Amino acid sequence: MGTPRSQWKKAVLTVVALVALGGLVLGATWLYASQQVPPQPLEFNHQVHVQQLGLSCLFCHSNAARGKSAGLPTTNRCMGCHVQLEPKTEAEKILREYFEKEEPIPWVPVAIQPDFVYFSHQPHVSKGIACETCHGEVGQYTIAPDLSKKQNMGWCLSCHKNLAPEHFTRLSSCETCHK
Amino acid sequence: MTREGLTRRDVLKLAGVGGVAAAVLSGCGPLAKHVRRHPYHDMPEYALPGKSVYFATTCRECPAGCGLVVRTVEGRAIKIEGNPNHPVNRGATCARGQAALEGLYNPDRTRGPKQRGGREISWDQAVDAVAAALQETPPEGIAFLLGLAPDHLAELVYEITQALGAPPPLRFGGLAMMEARETLTQAAEAVFGQKALPTFDIARADLVISFGANFMETWLSPVAYAKAYGAMRQGHPGRRGVLVQVEPRMSMTASNADLWLPAKPGTEGLVALALGRLMAEVAGVEAPAPFADVDPAQVAEQAEVPLAKLEKVARYAVEKSESVVAIPGGVVLGYDNGADIARAVLALNALMGDLGKASRVFFTPPAGGQAPLPPASFQDVRSLVDRMKAGKVQVLFIHGVNPVYELPEALGFADALLKVPLVISFSSFDDETARYVTYHLPDHTFLESWGYQRVQVGADREVLSAFQPVVVPVFDTRATADVLLAAVQKVGGALAEAVPYKNEVEFIQKKVADFRGRNDGIYQASNPKLFWAFFLQHGGWWTKEATAEPVQGKVVKVGTDKARFSQGDLHLVVYPHPLLGDGSQANYPWLQETPDPMTTVMWNTWVEINPMTAAKLGLENDDVVRIVSPYGAIEAVVYLYPGIRPDTIAVPMGQGHTALGRWAKDRGANPVALLGAGTNAAGDAAFAGVRVRVYKTGRRHQLARKENVVGVYGDGRRIPVTKHEAEAATSKHQE
Amino acid sequence: MAGGNGHEHTKWVMVIDLDKCNGCNACVTACAMENNVAFTGEEENAYGRGMHWLRVIRYWEGEWPNVRVRYMPMMCQQCSNAPCEPVCPVFATLHSEAEELNIQVYNRCIGTRYCANNCPYIARTFNWFDYEWPEPLNFHLNPDVTVRRRGIMEKCTFCIQRINQGEEQAAAEGREVRDGEIQPACAQACPTEAIVFGNWQDPNSKVRQLAQSQRGFKYLHELGTEPKVIYLASEKHDF
Repeated sequence: MGTPRSQWKKAVLTVVALVALGGLVLGATWLYASQQVPPQPLEFNHQVHVQQLGLSCLFCHSNAARGKSAGLPTTNRCMGCHVQLEPKTEAEKILREYFEKEEPIPWVPVAIQPDFVYFSHQPHVSKGIACETCHGEVGQYTIAPDLSKKQNMGWCLSCHKNLAPEHFTRLSSCETCHK
Repeated sequence: MTREGLTRRDVLKLAGVGGVAAAVLSGCGPLAKHVRRHPYHDMPEYALPGKSVYFATTCRECPAGCGLVVRTVEGRAIKIEGNPNHPVNRGATCARGQAALEGLYNPDRTRGPKQRGGREISWDQAVDAVAAALQETPPEGIAFLLGLAPDHLAELVYEITQALGAPPPLRFGGLAMMEARETLTQAAEAVFGQKALPTFDIARADLVISFGANFMETWLSPVAYAKAYGAMRQGHPGRRGVLVQVEPRMSMTASNADLWLPAKPGTEGLVALALGRLMAEVAGVEAPAPFADVDPAQVAEQAEVPLAKLEKVARYAVEKSESVVAIPGGVVLGYDNGADIARAVLALNALMGDLGKASRVFFTPPAGGQAPLPPASFQDVRSLVDRMKAGKVQVLFIHGVNPVYELPEALGFADALLKVPLVISFSSFDDETARYVTYHLPDHTFLESWGYQRVQVGADREVLSAFQPVVVPVFDTRATADVLLAAVQKVGGALAEAVPYKNEVEFIQKKVADFRGRNDGIYQASNPKLFWAFFLQHGGWWTKEATAEPVQGKVVKVGTDKARFSQGDLHLVVYPHPLLGDGSQANYPWLQETPDPMTTVMWNTWVEINPMTAAKLGLENDDVVRIVSPYGAIEAVVYLYPGIRPDTIAVPMGQGHTALGRWAKDRGANPVALLGAGTNAAGDAAFAGVRVRVYKTGRRHQLARKENVVGVYGDGRRIPVTKHEAEAATSKHQE
Repeated sequence: MAGGNGHEHTKWVMVIDLDKCNGCNACVTACAMENNVAFTGEEENAYGRGMHWLRVIRYWEGEWPNVRVRYMPMMCQQCSNAPCEPVCPVFATLHSEAEELNIQVYNRCIGTRYCANNCPYIARTFNWFDYEWPEPLNFHLNPDVTVRRRGIMEKCTFCIQRINQGEEQAAAEGREVRDGEIQPACAQACPTEAIVFGNWQDPNSKVRQLAQSQRGFKYLHELGTEPKVIYLASEKHDF
């Protein structure tokens, strides 16, 4: 049983605490909302390369058919073509700068999995699954959109669960992707 | 207290909820996931993103020269694996080799060239300093102290000292001191007529009698011997080799023996002679001279081993075995009569030949017919120290060894260093010795280095084992050979003419060029470039066929001087830590974390005391004791060790660093401080000739041991440590 | 006894010859280096919080001077009938039907530690804290194995990343996995070749042959756990 005075004190303290908590949550929400995926170092245009020029995905992401990671092209690979092109766009100029500095281009991956997920391109590509199945209509993109939200485990299993039983056992087993 | 108002607890709760919300919302936001990927500017031909690239190289954590294959992923070394084709280790590795990556990526490595006081200098200044030292010092005032690996550097330094007219480099270290290589070499010369380290082919032996040789832990070529041990036990259907070990303290090797004979320290040579005499008697022949001179019954009494056991071993050797080997090594060569013991044990091999047993001793043929520069004896190092003390050494170069830590304080190396005006260390770490140096010019670790090692022991053929960098250097370090060669070029003149190599790689290529002409190697190459590529790809050069032939020794005269010991109550056995070796790897956290095989202790120095002795001294597990010898004192934590003589205690070497890095520094004690500077007849250290007194300090320290604190619930779930307990635990499960 | 019935749910098997094992602990270090096992230091280890996935048990036998030692490498036995599995409330430790192994899914684990409590082999270790590899020591971390964070249970996986990789490689080359092609880090490092790993379903595999030995036994098999590690007893000669 508290005195009126102590009850008053309790009410004030509770309000103060709630305000503080609310502020914390609001602040965190603001932090969350204000977080932006960092911009790409240069505006690479998939549409031009894939749709207009008809380059195969494997020309640049050459490791997709044989390794875990599809790989990003080296600056030298880009310059194999671009060395003959007058840099017109901002992106081409930035590319040339990186080439001349002999520095890697710090790309921001758009299809990224958490550390505890082990995805390998090789078995998927060798089974004839088209790149577009997971990466969307890349030929339509000017700038590749962030796919990391979409590519979650339910999305993986949406394919895996439709497999024949002899494949399903293995390809629905946790250790296939988590180790 | 009544719960009124907002209590502290409520505030904490609210803060907790808020904190979690903040962490979840901000930490798991879109940004938390995103990283930047840096593709290569220009990708090497062999690299595939996400695929491992393997490089063959050679281990340098001890001088044995095991072949490694290092897995690298995108320029980082990820895992050390054994080279399956390498004649020394055949794909296996020891714990120390496995942990080598923690040396490469150790955060406490020396990150660049320094002057005394830690002031950073440039490599140009460093080369200038070395050049000035070579040019301005009279040749006899120059000294090089090198480790037992790598061989190519020793050979280069040898050429430089020859060109200068300076004394040849000394190769030594803590492990070399404990192995008494000179003693073994001299005894081998007397018995087998070859001045080299013998290899004992235990894989094909029916009975192995080891006198102190800890050949499965650190001795000479532990992985080769462990491989052979596996083959000896279960490699030949229907025939299982048997191991007998004679030594005062049960080493890990002895713990695998079928019979452990804890002979009184210093009497091991007599035991060998007595065994020889008994074997001759069983075989019905007259024992030759040194064997005939001992009376087995008397020896058994003197050595405090049962005569019946000796007779049984002798009978097993003669009646049940086609081949018997006797191996001298380890602590047994560390008495001041160690040279006699080595001769007695090797003579036992010769006697077995006379009794019609197949010899299982051979010598690894030196690669290219050139034996590596032999290690110095303790005596040689002592004379170097004397010259330093007398002010006769003006420049001392140190590489691959940490003498201030590894050598007994009684030798006075640290004091002698103060008398040398210019000391240059090439250590990769800020070790104890580096504190005394004028310049500290860090070498790469071996995973960033070129080089080769001439395999000396453990292989049945010529092996030149190659080093190559598996990653680019992590820090601003430089190959010592390159620093020396740059300095030589700077000095110019006759020296540069006599040592005409542009850099380390050119020196190595010249040295290995001769092997291209050989048609008995595992590969042939039509031109030098192709040969070099094969040399690196295979991890060295060796012959297709085994060429080592078993040798037959002759029985030699053996002195029977009694071992002398210092004053004290208990014999002291100091042995290299099975995981930390001579202590150079004490800053590798996973070697500290790997339990010692015998005691399961991690991260500290323990002293092994027989439970009966401990009871007499009123000591229990985890008591801190002070161990005092005539030469020094240390403190260590008691471990009640059933496998040691009651009149002996043992302390592993490897801890007790005062420098080297965060995981090594101020941890445990260095028992080398207890040792004297005496030598045996062959000039090796008489490190086992010490007796000590043990005093209780009253303090306790809980040793981290795996044996009784396994599992996530700590002490409550003690695992069974004896067979009896295991059976009790099992039957409890069944109930 | 090994090789008898009850092996229809067996794929990967480890045979450990205790007569060859010399107790050197190379497997322990190899395991840690392959699987990003954290080191925890002296105090934590004294408290029983070492993270070793694999340990070598050392048994003292007999009294002075007839003292003998036996060694026994102990790790997760990948039980077919695993006591840890049914107690996990979130299915973080469960049986993989594809590999017939007992797997630990770190991203599901909530750290109740029920599984460790129920493991008769004491093979599981718990991350009481976030452990660190100060830079650049983290450079050697294996990219194929998740670095576990605080509050997660972990244990030996039979180097599942190597198994999957070997199978993928074989599938890409359109062939079966060869015997001895897939080796966990401990078996690969073992200096005495005491640890042998292979596929039970391959009738010619080395593990299948070794398991015929009269010396074979399974540790605590009387509990009905059906372990997939077969030990071959050591036989000492008595003098």
